[in-house]
Amino acid sequence: MLRLLATIRKEWLLLIRDRGGLALLFLMPLVLITVMALIEDAPFRDYQELKFDVLTVDNDHGRLARYIKEGLEHSGQFTLVDSLDGKPVTQEDAVRLVNAGDYKICILIPKGATAAIVSNANRIVNDLSKRMGLPAVQPVKSRNDSLNVLIYFDPAAKKAFKSAIHQALDNFLTQVETDLLLERIKLQLHSKEADAADTFAIQLKAVGLQEQVTGPTKQINMVYNSVQHNVPAWSIFAMFFIVIPIAGNMIREREDGSLLRMKLIPGSYLALLAGKMLFFVSICVVQFYLMTLVGIYLMPLLHLPRLVLGHSYLPVFVIALCISLAATAYGILVGTLFKTPNQALSFGAISIVILSAVGGIWVPLEVMPPAMQFIGHLTPLNWGLEAINDLYLRNGGFAQIMGNAGKLMALCLVMLYLAARVEKGRMS
Amino acid sequence: MITVKNLHKTYPGALEPSLSGLSFSFPKGRIAGLLGPNGAGKTTTISILCGLVRADSGDAQIFDLHQDAHHREAIKKMIGIVPQQIALFPQLSALENLTYFGNLYGLKGKPLRTKIEDYLQRFGLEKNGKKEVYKFSGGMKRRTNIIAALLHDPQLLILDEPTAGVDVQSRNMILQFLREYNQQQGVSILYTSHLLEEAQSLCEEVAIIDQGRLVMQGQPLQLIQQHPECRNLEEVFLHHTGLAVRD
Repeated sequence: MLRLLATIRKEWLLLIRDRGGLALLFLMPLVLITVMALIEDAPFRDYQELKFDVLTVDNDHGRLARYIKEGLEHSGQFTLVDSLDGKPVTQEDAVRLVNAGDYKICILIPKGATAAIVSNANRIVNDLSKRMGLPAVQPVKSRNDSLNVLIYFDPAAKKAFKSAIHQALDNFLTQVETDLLLERIKLQLHSKEADAADTFAIQLKAVGLQEQVTGPTKQINMVYNSVQHNVPAWSIFAMFFIVIPIAGNMIREREDGSLLRMKLIPGSYLALLAGKMLFFVSICVVQFYLMTLVGIYLMPLLHLPRLVLGHSYLPVFVIALCISLAATAYGILVGTLFKTPNQALSFGAISIVILSAVGGIWVPLEVMPPAMQFIGHLTPLNWGLEAINDLYLRNGGFAQIMGNAGKLMALCLVMLYLAARVEKGRMS
Repeated sequence: MITVKNLHKTYPGALEPSLSGLSFSFPKGRIAGLLGPNGAGKTTTISILCGLVRADSGDAQIFDLHQDAHHREAIKKMIGIVPQQIALFPQLSALENLTYFGNLYGLKGKPLRTKIEDYLQRFGLEKNGKKEVYKFSGGMKRRTNIIAALLHDPQLLILDEPTAGVDVQSRNMILQFLREYNQQQGVSILYTSHLLEEAQSLCEEVAIIDQGRLVMQGQPLQLIQQHPECRNLEEVFLHHTGLAVRD
C-alpha cells in the first residue's frame, strides 16, 4: 500500500510541476469541447430549429396565401419577406435573390389559387349531393386549370431542407383544401348548427400522433443536439489523449533512469504501475466530470443547449471509469512499446485522432458509410460514446451499458497484458 | 562473496556476445573494482548481478544466493545500486526523490526523514534538499544518486561509474565516503570505472575484463608488481586491453 500511495503522490507532484501537461489535460479539452459545440451547433440543428427568411410573392391574395403565410409564421421557423425597400417582391426579384443565395427559398402563390381550391371543393360537394339525391348548387369553374404553388430554392440548399419545406407546404395546401371542403359541405347541408360541423371537424382529428420515450424511465423529450453529442464525445477524446502524458512520463522515466531504479528496488513493479494507473484513471474521471460541468453550466451561457444527463448517475460513473481504464492502459502500452518520446507522442496523438474520427466522435456514426460504421463499432471511443448515449439519451441503466463497459475492460486487460509481455521480453 | 561463474550473454540481434564465459570472485566486505574498456561487459555483468538482465548461461551469486527467480527479491533487498545514469526524477526535489525511493523500500515517517537528512548532510546537500534535481550540478546529482541507493542499508553497494562527469571536490567526497562506509559499516562495494588511478587508490581488489572475459584479477599493487614494465594500474590495463579505441 505504501508503494502504491507513494507512487500516486509522486505522479501528483510531477503533474503539478508540469504546467504544459496540466493545460493539455484540463484546459485544452475545455476549449476543444466549447469550440466544437459552437461550430457544430448549426449542422446539428434540425432544419425545423433554424429560422429562415422566406420571400413570398402573393399573386392570389386569397385564403390559400393567408393560410400559407400564417402557417409558416406560426411554425416560428420562417420570417416572411413580401416586400423589399417598401415595394412588393416581384417574381423576377425573388428568383434573382434566391439564385444569388441571398435567400434560401421563395414561395410564389399563383393568381386564382384559392379560387381553384374552392371550385374543386364545390365540385366534390356537388358530386356528393347528387349521389345523395340533393341538388348540386355550388358554383364550379367551367375550366379546371392546373395551378401550382411555385417554390424556388437556393441552388446550394440541401436535399433534406428541400424535403422539409415541400412537406410543410404540402401540409398547408392539404389543410386549406380540407377546411374549404368542410365549409362547402356545411353550406350545402344548409346547417345552422355550427356545433355539428365542429364535431365533424373534431372527428377528423380523432387519431393523432404522440411521441413516447423508449427508455425504462420517464424523461423529458430529449433532442440530440450539438452539446449532447459534442460534450460526451470530445470528453472521451480528451480522456484518451491521456496517452500523451502517460507515454511521455513512462519514456522519460526510462530515459532518465528512474525506471531502472524502481526496478532495482524489491517488491512488485506491478504495484508501482497500479499506482501510476490509479492516478491517471482519477485524472481521466476528473476530466470527464469537468467537461460534464462545462456542458451543464458553460454551454447555456454561450446560447447553446444545456447538457442533459439522464437519471443513471452511478452507471455514468462506472462507464467513465471504464473509459478511463482503457485510455490509461492504452497510454501504458504506447509508453512501453515506443523507445523515444517523439515516436510515442506522434503515434499516440495520431492514433487517437484516427480512432475518434472512425469512432463517431467528430460526426455521429449513423452518417458514415456502412463499412466505416462497421469499423467504427470496433473502436473503444465508440464503445464509450455509445454507452454514454445509452445513459443520457436512451434513459438506460446498468443493463444497457454492460456490453460496452465489458468491451472497454477487456481491451484494458489485453493492453496491459501486451505491455507486460513487452516489458518482460526486454529483460531477456 | 560475489561470485560469477562462466557467464554467457548475447543480446537479441547482437552480432557479438557481451559476455563469453566470464568468471571472477570477490570476498565479502571488500571494495572491489570491475574494470574494462567500453563494451567489455561491465554493465551487463552488473545488470545480471542485480537481476535486471538474465544470463544465457552461467551463474551469478551474491552472498551465497544464486541470482535466479527464487532469490531475486532477497538479493534486491541486500544490494544498493548506483546506476551510471542519474536515476532520479529531475522535476522532483532531492528530498522528494529520496522520500519516494525510501517509501518503495518500505521506509517511512521520521526514521526515513532522519536518515535522508543525515545523508544529505554527509554529502553536503543539506541546503539543497528542497531544490529540484534538474537544477543541481553534475556532482550534486551524482551524490543524490548515491544516497538513493543507501537508504535501505544494503550489504552490498554496486556503483557503475559513480564519479563520471563530476568535479575533483565531488569525486573526493564520494570516494572518501565509500572508504568510510566500507570500513565503518562493513559493506561490500563493487565499483566500475574508467578512471584507473581512482580504482587503484580505492579498490582492494580489481578484475580487469575485456570482450566479455576475465583478463586478470588481483590486488592493484600485486598486478602492478607482476608487470615490471608498468608503473601503475593504467599501464597494466593498457598492456592487456591494447591501445585500440573501443566504441
